[in-house]
Amino acid sequence: MKENFFRSMTWMHTWVGLLVCWLLYLIFYAGTLSFFRDEITLWNQPALHNVQTTDTRIAQQKSQIIAGVKYLQNVAADSQRWGIYLPTQREPQLNYAYEKPRPEGKRFGGWQEHNIDPSTGQTIAQTRETKGGNFFYRLHFDLHYIDVLTARWIVCLASLFMLVALISGIVIHKRIFKDMFSFRANKGSRSWLDGHNVSSVLALPFHLMITYTGLITLIFMLFPYPAMTAYEDGVRGLFNDVLPTNVRSKSSPESAPLANIEGILDHVYTNWPDADLTQISIRDPNKASATITVRASTGTMLRDQTPTLLFNGVDGSLIAKSATELTNTEVFYDSMTALHTGRLANPLLRWLYFLCGIAGCVMIASGCIMWAKRIRERMKKQQTASFGLKLVEGLNLATLMGLPLATCAFFIANRLLPINVAERADKEILAFFLTWLAVALFALFKRATAQWIQLAWLNAVACIAVVLINALTTDGNIISYLLNGQWALFSVDFLCIIFAGLFVIQAKKIPTRAQPKAQRQSSRRAAKTNLQEQQ
Amino acid sequence: MHAQSVKTSQTFSIASKLSHAYQAHSYRIAVVSRFLAAIVGGYVFTAVFSSLLSIILPLKKSDAVLLSISLTIFIYSCVFIWVFAVKSLTKIWITILLTTTGLALILSLLKGWL
Amino acid sequence: MHELLQFSLCLLAFNCFALAKFNHYREVFKTRPNEKQSKQFLLAAWISILLSLVLSVVQHNGYGALLFCGYIAVSLLVLMIFYSFKASWVKIMSVLNITVIMLSGLFLSVF
Repeated sequence: MKENFFRSMTWMHTWVGLLVCWLLYLIFYAGTLSFFRDEITLWNQPALHNVQTTDTRIAQQKSQIIAGVKYLQNVAADSQRWGIYLPTQREPQLNYAYEKPRPEGKRFGGWQEHNIDPSTGQTIAQTRETKGGNFFYRLHFDLHYIDVLTARWIVCLASLFMLVALISGIVIHKRIFKDMFSFRANKGSRSWLDGHNVSSVLALPFHLMITYTGLITLIFMLFPYPAMTAYEDGVRGLFNDVLPTNVRSKSSPESAPLANIEGILDHVYTNWPDADLTQISIRDPNKASATITVRASTGTMLRDQTPTLLFNGVDGSLIAKSATELTNTEVFYDSMTALHTGRLANPLLRWLYFLCGIAGCVMIASGCIMWAKRIRERMKKQQTASFGLKLVEGLNLATLMGLPLATCAFFIANRLLPINVAERADKEILAFFLTWLAVALFALFKRATAQWIQLAWLNAVACIAVVLINALTTDGNIISYLLNGQWALFSVDFLCIIFAGLFVIQAKKIPTRAQPKAQRQSSRRAAKTNLQEQQ
Repeated sequence: MHAQSVKTSQTFSIASKLSHAYQAHSYRIAVVSRFLAAIVGGYVFTAVFSSLLSIILPLKKSDAVLLSISLTIFIYSCVFIWVFAVKSLTKIWITILLTTTGLALILSLLKGWL
Repeated sequence: MHELLQFSLCLLAFNCFALAKFNHYREVFKTRPNEKQSKQFLLAAWISILLSLVLSVVQHNGYGALLFCGYIAVSLLVLMIFYSFKASWVKIMSVLNITVIMLSGLFLSVF
């Protein structure tokens, strides 16, 4: 491209990065929040706040499953799918769900859930309709309001650009280890460069890993060709070969009594003596084609495929079980997905993931701000900004400051919308996008430093508002969470306060005018002496 | 004779206009072409290469597919970077087209599609 | 306790890497490091970081390597803040760091 390799890589890093940085920021932001998906879902559902996991969680599982099948047989004998979701460390409630009748032409009718407090056995009333953390999880790769497949292709392309930008970034950052610990504050675009370097280097293994494995999670959409070459029926053939429990028989309309669940559970417990089961799903219950799938927790293994047993739902015989011994390649492939989704057993590791995710957001944000700053600095005094520069500055302000504000709006809407309003979950999401749109419109008119400061203050206020409104509308608050050891809820509130603090620092630290440091210090000193004289 | 010279001068002027337009936008055209080579060319090359890999790797069928699938992203990003590192655009297109066709030929011979 | 030991070893390692550099050494000790000191810091850093990696992998297998990457991120963040804004506190931080390593190591070897 350019005269030499180094300059070509610099050129590519700049343009490939700039082209997709806002989309990447959205992906990284939503993905980082998704590490706390279950915690956010719990926070969004105040009716479940006081449900505690019990010490006898695993011992209770058998009786919970038997009661669940009895319950579902009573209320939804002719549903197409049942699910029994057992309490886990992160999701304390017991959930019996069945699929509602499918509307004409739809492949799925939506779940009707029935939540139970496992320690008392009482039904939990007054659950609100919310997407919770699943909203951010879906936003991370399905975006929203556009067709899922198109969205995934766009996300894949952006991720590829990210990977390429990362690799070229390593190539062009010659002094990568020399500058590892330095950050020069208050030096204009120089500081942004330092911020960009530090945030990339400190989580470099994470950035590379998360981008590569992210592409791997969508690989069957991106590159189905190897599977299509090797197998007659393509990707489905590969899945049937690798995952024996994946086979799906055709539904039959003939009715047949459901197999005795106790017999099946006996079979499960002889296979896995002290299993920590997570979910039981029953397809076509009371039909001749019924199947029962039993899944257990992966525990502390670096695995994404859960241990699974598949039973015939009529005679109760075992149809298939997930492979216990994986080949090296299977381990390699499966651990990559596990690395990305980070459904980790260890809370410390989840926090480290979260921190690295934040570093990724900072890396992208500082990158796109730096581009605009550099162009501004190179501009002559009387020169007017080009359309491209204005566009980049507007998108920077709208995306970087708009997303946190929209997230706060999402949380606040969750607490303030009436519980029984129709399509409540969609309205929460609407609040998210309307807020973002408002910030974008604001950025359309003005995007100078003053607007950054105003939005930083607004964000800080919104973060505090989330905590306050939570305390006012539910029967718990951040202090009671701390005292009762409700760590999931405490973390959400605590993070809001931390981010409020960071936004205040941001608002205070942004220099209002582009003036050298020394000059500003002297003016501050002058202001101080003025103040003293007045006193 | 006269008419012919007018005609030649007209075609000449159109050609010169075209070449002028090309010169004015040549940088943009080169950049777009390079991105196309990287994204589309890289994609097709990777697709063919990984398909070939999945049948020639001396492993169990499912393992060979999973391994070649896991490597696709690596191959794709290598091609992407290579496209931006090489100076001559013609060389890039020729290399990509030749290797892809060559690999596709080998693949179809091995699978017996031809 | 295991995690604390692994993390503080990692922090120590990167602190040593930083001190092996001319600029950072001068910021902290106000004198120039000689060749030998730099080499000793580098050696200590490598031993410490390998120890941290080995300990975390032995304890957590696959997740250990991930945890180790996380420790690197946190250590770099901490050191970046100290060296850029509070270079004078680095000495105190290092002493604390070594104390934590000693104590957690002692605790683990006794219990």
